[in-house]
Amino acid sequence: MTESHPFLVPILLSAAATFLVRALPYYATFLDRLPKFLSKSLRLLPIAALGPLIFPSVILDYNESWYAGLLGIAAASIFAYKRRGMVIPILLSIGVTYLALLV
Amino acid sequence: MQQELTFKQGCQEGFPIFVGYFPTAMAFGLVCRDLGLRIWEAVLFSLTNFAGSGQFLAANLMGKGAILAEIFISVLLVNLRYSFMGAELSRNLEKGIGGWQRPLLAHGTTDEVFSVAVLHNQPITKHYLAGLELTAYAGWVSGTAAGFLVGMVLPTALQLAVGVTLYAMFSSLLAQEFRQKGSKVLLIAAISAVLNSILIVFFDLGIGWAFVISMLAASSIGAAITEEVQEYV
Repeated sequence: MTESHPFLVPILLSAAATFLVRALPYYATFLDRLPKFLSKSLRLLPIAALGPLIFPSVILDYNESWYAGLLGIAAASIFAYKRRGMVIPILLSIGVTYLALLV
Repeated sequence: MQQELTFKQGCQEGFPIFVGYFPTAMAFGLVCRDLGLRIWEAVLFSLTNFAGSGQFLAANLMGKGAILAEIFISVLLVNLRYSFMGAELSRNLEKGIGGWQRPLLAHGTTDEVFSVAVLHNQPITKHYLAGLELTAYAGWVSGTAAGFLVGMVLPTALQLAVGVTLYAMFSSLLAQEFRQKGSKVLLIAAISAVLNSILIVFFDLGIGWAFVISMLAASSIGAAITEEVQEYV
C-alpha cells in the first residue's frame, strides 16, 4: 500500500495535524488563558513560517541557475506589494523564471 | 430582532472566497503534479487538509523527502492559528450543535472563512457556517483538480519554471503582509529565512526540523519586539 502510494501516509498525517488544531478549540478552553508572550509568539508563527518556506529552497532548487527563482519571486513580490491578489504575481514569476532559465 | 443567518446567506458570502481560492488551489494542483502525485491524491490532499499554506508546506516537505514526524510537527505549527480562530468562532456559535456536527464545522475553519464569519453580530448558526464553509471548500477542491489538469497540457520547458509557483505564492503573501502591517513582518521573516538557510546549508539539518526551529525562534524574537498582536494573520 505505502510502496505503491508513497504520498498517501504523509497526506493523511498532514490532514490529522491540521484537524487536530482545528478541533482543539471546540473541546478545550485553555487557549483563551495563555500567557501573553506565548500567545503573541503563536500568532506570529504564520509570518515566521514564510521565511523558511522560501529560503534557501528557492535558490537551491535551481542549481547553477540559482538566480532564476530569485528573479521570479522578486517579480511576484513587487507586483503583490502594489496590488491585491495572487494570480498575476504567480504567473509573472513563472514567466520571469522561465526566461531566466532560457538565458 | 435580527434575522437568523441562513445556509443561503452563508453560500452567498462564501462566493468571493470561492473565487479567491480557485486559482490558489490551481497552483497547488500544479505543485502536486510536479511532485509526481496522481490526480486523486492531489484532490484527496485538498479534501482532507483544506489548508493553504499547510498543504503547500506538506507538499514541499514530501518532495524533499522529510520524515513523517517533521511533516506532522511542521504542519501542526503552521496551522496552529486555526486554534485561535476556532476559539473565537466557537464563542459566537449558536448553542446546541450536535456532537458529530462540531468536528465537521471545525474542519472548515480557514483564515478567510473565519474573517467573514466573525463580522456578524448575531449568533453564527450552523446552517450559515456550513454554507460558508462548503462554498469555500468547493473552490479549494475543484481548483486543485483544475490546476492538476492544466499541468498535464503544459509544455515540458515550462515545467521547471512552474516550480517557482510555491515560492512566488509565499513571497506574494509576505509582500501583502508587509504592506498591511509594516516592516516588522519583513524582519521576522528575514530572521527565520536566514536561520533556516544556515541550519540547512551549514549544519545539514533535515528540512522539517530546520523549519520548526527557525520558525519558533523567529516568532519568539518577534513576540519580544512587537507590542501587541491582534490579528490572526
